[in-house]
Amino acid sequence: MDAQFKEEVLKLAGDEVKNCIQCGTCSSSCSTAHLMDNSIRKLVRFVLEGMKEEALSSQSIWLCTSCLLCTVRCPRSIRPKSVVAALKHIKEQEGGKNKDQAFEEMFMRQIRDCGRVSEFLLSAGYPLANPMATVQIMTMGIELLPKGKIDFHRDCVRGQDEIKRIFEELKEG
Amino acid sequence: MHVGVYICHCGLNIASTLDVEELKKFAETLPNVAVARDLQFSCSDAGQDTIKSDIKEYKLDSVVVSACSPRLHEPTFRRTLDDAGLNQFMLEMANIREQCSWVHMEDPALATQKAKDLIRMAVAKASLLRPLQTEVMPVSRDALVIGGGVAGISAALDLANSGLRVYLVERRPTIGGYMALLTDVFPTNDCSICVLAPKMAEVYANPLIKLMTYSEILNIDGSVGRFTVSGVRKPRYVDETLCKGCINECAGVCPVELPDEYDFGLGKRKAIYMAIPQSVPLVACIDPEACIGCGRCEEACPADAVKFDQEQEDFRFDVGAIVVATGWQPFDAARKEEYGFGRYRDVLTSLQIERFLNASGPTGGEIVRPSTGKIARSVAFLQCVGSRDQTVGNAYCSRICCMAALKDAQLIKEKYPDADVSIHYIDMRAGGEGYEEFYLRAQKLGINFIRGRVSEIEEADGEIYLHYEDTFLGRYSRKMYDIAVLSIGLEPDRNADVVGTLLGLARRPDGFFEIAHPKMRPVEAHIDGVFIAGCASGPKEIQVSIAQGSACASKAMKLLMKGELELDPTVAHVDQEKCIGCKLCIDTCPSKAITVNGTALVDEASCKGCGTCAASCPVDAIQMRLFSDEQILAQIRAATEVRGEYPFIVAFLCNWCSYAGADLAGTSRIQYPTNVRVIRVMCAGRVDPSFVMEALKRGAEGVIVAGCRPGECHYVKGNYQALQRMDVLKDLLESLGISPMRVKMVWCAAAEGDIFAARVKEFVEELEELGPVGTELRGTGEAHPKEPPAPGSGPGGTGGDGGNAGNGGDTGDGGDSGEVGDAGCGGDEAEPHPTAEGDTDGEGEVVSG
Repeated sequence: MDAQFKEEVLKLAGDEVKNCIQCGTCSSSCSTAHLMDNSIRKLVRFVLEGMKEEALSSQSIWLCTSCLLCTVRCPRSIRPKSVVAALKHIKEQEGGKNKDQAFEEMFMRQIRDCGRVSEFLLSAGYPLANPMATVQIMTMGIELLPKGKIDFHRDCVRGQDEIKRIFEELKEG
Repeated sequence: MHVGVYICHCGLNIASTLDVEELKKFAETLPNVAVARDLQFSCSDAGQDTIKSDIKEYKLDSVVVSACSPRLHEPTFRRTLDDAGLNQFMLEMANIREQCSWVHMEDPALATQKAKDLIRMAVAKASLLRPLQTEVMPVSRDALVIGGGVAGISAALDLANSGLRVYLVERRPTIGGYMALLTDVFPTNDCSICVLAPKMAEVYANPLIKLMTYSEILNIDGSVGRFTVSGVRKPRYVDETLCKGCINECAGVCPVELPDEYDFGLGKRKAIYMAIPQSVPLVACIDPEACIGCGRCEEACPADAVKFDQEQEDFRFDVGAIVVATGWQPFDAARKEEYGFGRYRDVLTSLQIERFLNASGPTGGEIVRPSTGKIARSVAFLQCVGSRDQTVGNAYCSRICCMAALKDAQLIKEKYPDADVSIHYIDMRAGGEGYEEFYLRAQKLGINFIRGRVSEIEEADGEIYLHYEDTFLGRYSRKMYDIAVLSIGLEPDRNADVVGTLLGLARRPDGFFEIAHPKMRPVEAHIDGVFIAGCASGPKEIQVSIAQGSACASKAMKLLMKGELELDPTVAHVDQEKCIGCKLCIDTCPSKAITVNGTALVDEASCKGCGTCAASCPVDAIQMRLFSDEQILAQIRAATEVRGEYPFIVAFLCNWCSYAGADLAGTSRIQYPTNVRVIRVMCAGRVDPSFVMEALKRGAEGVIVAGCRPGECHYVKGNYQALQRMDVLKDLLESLGISPMRVKMVWCAAAEGDIFAARVKEFVEELEELGPVGTELRGTGEAHPKEPPAPGSGPGGTGGDGGNAGNGGDTGDGGDSGEVGDAGCGGDEAEPHPTAEGDTDGEGEVVSG
């Protein structure tokens, strides 16, 4: 029982996590539940039992798409999505890495430089960092290309100074 | 004024700690005291006889008994006074046992000093007591029952069978409520209408019950013993005296068809209809919204009972008591959009399945899949739809749905043994006689229990699929069923809002009517003479509703049988000269006893005497007869006359919880510092901020205001009002330069003697740190140029200093304390004398120690 870990998650995800009755509404609402090793319901239980190792090593925390269905439907007003976010945060603080770290970094770099994500640059650049994903993306690209679904044009937002400022502030904070 | 003071030894309970002889001598020196005696046991016959003979011999006007807690023996000594021909309210008790000798056993000198103060305070109050007369008011012996469901029927029958006249008012065309629509009922699976119909018929036949169906209450005036009720009987357009209830003749020819609300929209009914086949009264009714006025029913009726010219009738009657049995309404399942009720035909509610299972329902008792018209092969029950669900605002458990689902599942399984019947639940709640056995029976029948709340119902290709996680297996599933039954929760009936508002009933956060105490007073409303039965005060089963109906009847009987009501003379009284008609008191009153028509008027039959109105009155126009401003201020002045201790604390304790808690500290012999002087009030809400100011002005270092724990106030919210007032007062003190830490709110239940003792101890330490009252003003010396420099020696001097500082601050105080301020000044001038005399030794010791 890692009480400190439990307290940390409760602080990040809200004290109402304690109200969980393990009804499973969150996990059966979850759009990626079938891909998860542990359901969200179980993650909440891990947290309340202070089972830090089990919670943080679960691949489920990287599969949340933040669709918020769990949070909208929870009958006890818990925000299961925030529990997942808290676990991710703690894992990263402790130096743990998402297997899609490369993707996230690329994504954020584009936002910083342009204020917007270019689908083309992202899908072209990602295979460079993660060659394993190339085949999948290429097949999709070949299908989309003749239909004119790929936009090669890169369009940036106005007021990029503001975007830069936000990044600066976040860095300081 | 001749006051007699009696100091009890209570064997050694008091005498072993306190110097009773010294107390007696001290009492003799107090103003107005004609005689002071010590008695071995004042509550014994000998003790009481002494008091009685003294009352005659010394022509006593009032009596102070300095003994145990008034919560124990006040009734005893009131009887003593009454026996001796003295008004029973001319008694004041000084609690020198529970709140002195038993809690300061290690400090006899200071305890005796405290007892002196307590006696001085009691004598001060006793000198201001006035005789009060208990008046008797004749009451109406009739009762009103609102709502003709099973709870209302139970109440009406019990009242009528004991010889009282009852008005039973029902909004619908028939009595019977939801129970009349159910099929079999748990835990015995007997037929609902079979057990209810005889009761309904009994109501109809009882000559003492005036049954008024299809009627609405529009106004209720008055209070306990004399409510005046008025309303209307809506026209049925059918003469009740002529209709034979054959219904097929008229309904058969009616061309208008509409969804039947008594089948929850499953079946159809005509514009002329009978709610249920067993309707009471057995009379047809024309729905004016649907009727097209073709007149065919009028032609068809063999009894000529159809009367299109019928008009609504007004009614008006007086009753002494009211039973509210307004029931519940089903949760609207369409609000849970993810379950698709109203969009998917095979998704039903638990009430609809009741009608399916009912032999007189739309399918004649068969479980027919609505989308195909075929018998269902698989049925899923979804529990907690609209209950235990904060997303729809219903955090509570509806209590009956687990058992109802078990029952319906059993009935289906018995009828179709091969069907797959599953109950998807979070927790199965089967607490009640025979309930767990009923659960076991369902398991034996082969019903599946799946632990996990269904998150969504999906429809694909005409089939419905449930999404859920079996949380025991940790496995996510999507399963197909023919029918999904939503076990919908119970909500408070919105139609009861009118009655609730007319009677001033409080609602709990869950929306149901609040009862006077969640445990001890289960069927009484906060309003005298009003009782609540059945689901109006929260979801409950049939048997509990019946029991509550009977409980309401017996409570009402207690009130009505006598035909008269004794009025408590200790209630609030408004000085019509002073009242400015500001209406502030109306909202503070928990009993809705105050009306303002130009000036305020207190209904003495409804008032419970908490005194929170008196504390809220900006012009002090409201007086409590046994806890008047004058009496309480006299107690404060008497308490602070000597201030033989430092820090000195004046505490206001509410009668029900904190005073009882302080008594418990005594009976448990929990020791705490002697610094506190207690003034009993009925409710913390009685404490006027000017009392606190007066205590501080007179040199008390701190003031405790103690009430029941939040949510447990015996007057609903008096403790919250006290908190609010003290918060405002603390701001004021801060702006005057006095530390707000000097006022302490304490929540203490009657069982928390240890908490009371701990709070006193804490407060003493806090005040020691703060220093004598007024010391904090020295930093802002310029703002108070009148303030003398700190004397530096002896608490008497510092105390006087504090008093002056308080007076300086008083200039900013509200208008009502003018008198108080003057008295305070007078007190200050007189103060040094007693301080300089006898008690200086004691003080010196305290300070040096």
